[in-house]
Amino acid sequence: MSALAQARPRTTFRIHPRPRPTELGLLAIVAVAMVVGAAGLGATQRYRAAIEAGSPPTALDFSPPDARALLLYLLGLLVVHALFVLAGRRTDQVLLPAIGMLGGIGLLLMQRLPQDTVVQSFGSLQLGLGQLQLGWLLVALGVITVLALAVRSDAWLRTYKYTWAAAGILLLLLTFVFGSDVNGARLSLSIGPISGQPSELLKVILVVFLAGYLSENRALLADESTRIGPVRLPPLPYLAPMVAMLAIALGIVVVQRDLGAALLFYTAFLALLYVATGRPSYVIGGVALFIAGSYVLYHLFGHVQIRVDNWLDPWRDPQGAGFQTIQALYAFARGGILGVGLGAGLPTIGGRPPVPAIHTDYPLAALGEELGLIGLLAVLGLYLVVVSRGLRIAASAHDDFRSLLAAGLALVIGIQAFIIAAGNLKLIPLTGITLPLISYGGSSLLANAVVIGLLIALSDRGIEPPPPPRPPRAIRRFRLRRGPAT
Amino acid sequence: MIARRIAGADRRGTGRPRTIGANVFRTGIAIACAFSVLALGAGWWQVVDAQRLSTAPDNPAVIAIARRALRGDIVDRNGTWLARSERDANGEALRQYRDDTISHVVGYASRRYGTAGLERTYNAELLGLSGSNAFGQLFTKFGQQPDQPLGLQLSLDLRLQRAAVRGLGSDKGAVVMMDPTTGEILALASTPTFDAGAIADPDTSQATFEGLVDDPNRPLLPRATLGRYVPGSVFKIVTGIAGLDSGAITPQTTYPEQPPAEKHGLVVNGFRIKDGHHPQTGSTALDLYEATEVSCNIWYALTGLRTGGQTLVSEAAELGFGASIPFDLPTAASQVTNGNGGAPGGFEDDAELASASFGQGETFVTPLQMALVASTVANDGVLMKPHVVTALTGDGPGARAIGPESWHQVLDADNAHALQQAMQQAVEGDLGKAFTAGAKVPGIPTAGKSGTAELGGTGEPHSWFIGFAPVENPKIAIAVLVERGGRGGERAAPLAGDLMQRYFELYGNP
Repeated sequence: MSALAQARPRTTFRIHPRPRPTELGLLAIVAVAMVVGAAGLGATQRYRAAIEAGSPPTALDFSPPDARALLLYLLGLLVVHALFVLAGRRTDQVLLPAIGMLGGIGLLLMQRLPQDTVVQSFGSLQLGLGQLQLGWLLVALGVITVLALAVRSDAWLRTYKYTWAAAGILLLLLTFVFGSDVNGARLSLSIGPISGQPSELLKVILVVFLAGYLSENRALLADESTRIGPVRLPPLPYLAPMVAMLAIALGIVVVQRDLGAALLFYTAFLALLYVATGRPSYVIGGVALFIAGSYVLYHLFGHVQIRVDNWLDPWRDPQGAGFQTIQALYAFARGGILGVGLGAGLPTIGGRPPVPAIHTDYPLAALGEELGLIGLLAVLGLYLVVVSRGLRIAASAHDDFRSLLAAGLALVIGIQAFIIAAGNLKLIPLTGITLPLISYGGSSLLANAVVIGLLIALSDRGIEPPPPPRPPRAIRRFRLRRGPAT
Repeated sequence: MIARRIAGADRRGTGRPRTIGANVFRTGIAIACAFSVLALGAGWWQVVDAQRLSTAPDNPAVIAIARRALRGDIVDRNGTWLARSERDANGEALRQYRDDTISHVVGYASRRYGTAGLERTYNAELLGLSGSNAFGQLFTKFGQQPDQPLGLQLSLDLRLQRAAVRGLGSDKGAVVMMDPTTGEILALASTPTFDAGAIADPDTSQATFEGLVDDPNRPLLPRATLGRYVPGSVFKIVTGIAGLDSGAITPQTTYPEQPPAEKHGLVVNGFRIKDGHHPQTGSTALDLYEATEVSCNIWYALTGLRTGGQTLVSEAAELGFGASIPFDLPTAASQVTNGNGGAPGGFEDDAELASASFGQGETFVTPLQMALVASTVANDGVLMKPHVVTALTGDGPGARAIGPESWHQVLDADNAHALQQAMQQAVEGDLGKAFTAGAKVPGIPTAGKSGTAELGGTGEPHSWFIGFAPVENPKIAIAVLVERGGRGGERAAPLAGDLMQRYFELYGNP
């Protein structure tokens, strides 16, 4: 945030309150859903505990398992809404309730899982899974608010795109050198007591860089071709910097074994390239490259082979490599259409949920079991709402950079949700990335908060016009050759 | 907004890229399609495939139910209980088994080690879970009653099963007895066996199971269904079926090159095939009956070569070779060849085909598969689907009888009769008696074929016998394998004779 403060020292809040009735109404629905969910969860948990203790209760107790957490979260959403109203910006009113619902579902889920799954101590204060998630959610709401209110110009993003790219690469390199391993992948970087997964933040940086680069060069990328004999190829010189940036990111990610992030970056790259150029050939070529690359990776890396083999037939090693996958499928199946009910699912094996990474990699399996097919479809629908709002912002943005940035940010959330959901549902091999806004984890929540915050800021219909475009050298040459464009 | 963008979108060829709005719109459609695929995937697991997954034996929910629910009883064909459940002092279900002889069929249901055998195949039914599907749950969700557990009625006869296990004694081996006209399995013995009750009992479970897993004799392997063995001469019946059914041979076929080759062997592709019956048959050119009676390797090798590798493999597939046999228990696939060769049918060359024709190539079979071969010949060429569960009993949904079902018409009745006669001669003929001493059931016409599977090296060969009785209107077909049991006629044939005799004692002479 310090960069922001330096770039825009004159940012001040003008108090012109503007009511946001849509947002308020939707937030009310979120609040009702949360209260009902928490009450049901509390009742189920107490009922189960009583049954296991051998004394079935005569009446159900519908108080939430952690009423203070519920209140804090809903209050947090309300405060954000109030600040939005006070700031008076004409920004999107659907995004906040949508992510509020997703975050709320995540919060209920983390309260429902065994609290000792993750425990962090701050001095004498011990926080369990649900409390930690609440803390991160509140921080995430803060990030969203600050970005949504404070970002009024995008110059600091578009001007320094190579700086951002360099910072991102540096971040990854730091992780690689100083990071610690999580499940066999070097993912986590610790600074003092706080550790995080930089690849989450990198996805935002990648989108910013791509949006900046593509907005300057999309005309060239769309129309120019390199001819080799009769074959028309894309204009390789203009693709090069972008591909190089991507290759470095991918390379590091693959070396770090963070396959989920690699897949996310690559898919987001292709999608954004298509949005910028409208050339399907890029997508086709990209998919072909992907298939070739996957083939090479499969034969080069043992852990890729395990993932793929395990996807093709988890029942080959049901107690070992295939265990998680199979248990997740069992969970989906147990849920059926209506679900077993929040808090009533997940039979434990030896006191633990059978899916060890349920709170990070497999939350969808838990939701599928407890909320059923309808709950799962609702969650998928919420992601589609977020994506579609983001794409609307992209379609109505003032210039190419904002369009591409908004589209990229929205797509990154959609693609990430798809990759992990498809992995959970055994449609593609499982790659360990988080389910955006639902999974446990600070880095993931904060990175997605940055995405949502920027999207809300970009949606401002009263946003000041973008700075006059600074034609890059490539465009100037283009104009010289073709004559001035209209 | 989006629509307006699209309207101005398709201005191709003007030197400007289309507006981003239209591309954004298409990308959005793509994302929506991708999410529809997710929805379909979720629907698949949560609705379409939900019942199979929800009743899978390894499903922790099923295991949790199994701790409490009393499994249904398993009884043999006479109603004698084989497995039943009681509650222990803590009110948890405890499974009891009648004795060790049935362990490989019935299996076990253990809290710690899951389920095996019929306990695994019919786990959902035995627990009363079979009636639950996603749509059914929709209506029973509130106020759900668990279904009644179902019981299993088997075609197994405990008395024959015990006789078979006792007959195998301390040897490793397997016995399969079945009714060739119905496919009902009356005995399915594998030795060594194990104490299923001790695996089910939580107090002894771990020690028992770990001891069994470490046992070099592999007592947990159900040899009758999952053991794969070199068949030796019992495979000649498969070659005979293939030759006759394809028309490559008739029962009267003789080979002029066979008698002279008896002395020094028949050379195929540089590989020498030998026989041991020259002193008895001299220079006679043998036909199907005589060749089967004296178990002539050279005659069957020539028959296999004339039939051709492709036909041999495809005829064997009619008998169940090449894939797991559909059965109540897991079965291993039997093979005529490993299929890696370039010659027709996947043989390496004619030498392998010739060797396979008398069961000494890359041929591996399960005892159950060989019982099906004997049963097919006995039942005039019609192969019945083997099954050991004849009814799911009880009041719950899914209770039903499982009747006989024909599987393949493998060969026509005339050719089947010829093989029946040849196999009878192999047991009762003057020369046949020397090979299969003891297989004959006194007073009842008996047909069969012994096998001595050479394994190379110095050890004893596997001892095999397949057969059936009576020859007309057969009641019982049998396959016996004794690992390292010596010649077929020494170990397997007498045991088969005893067991068939025991059958007729129990069920009366025809």
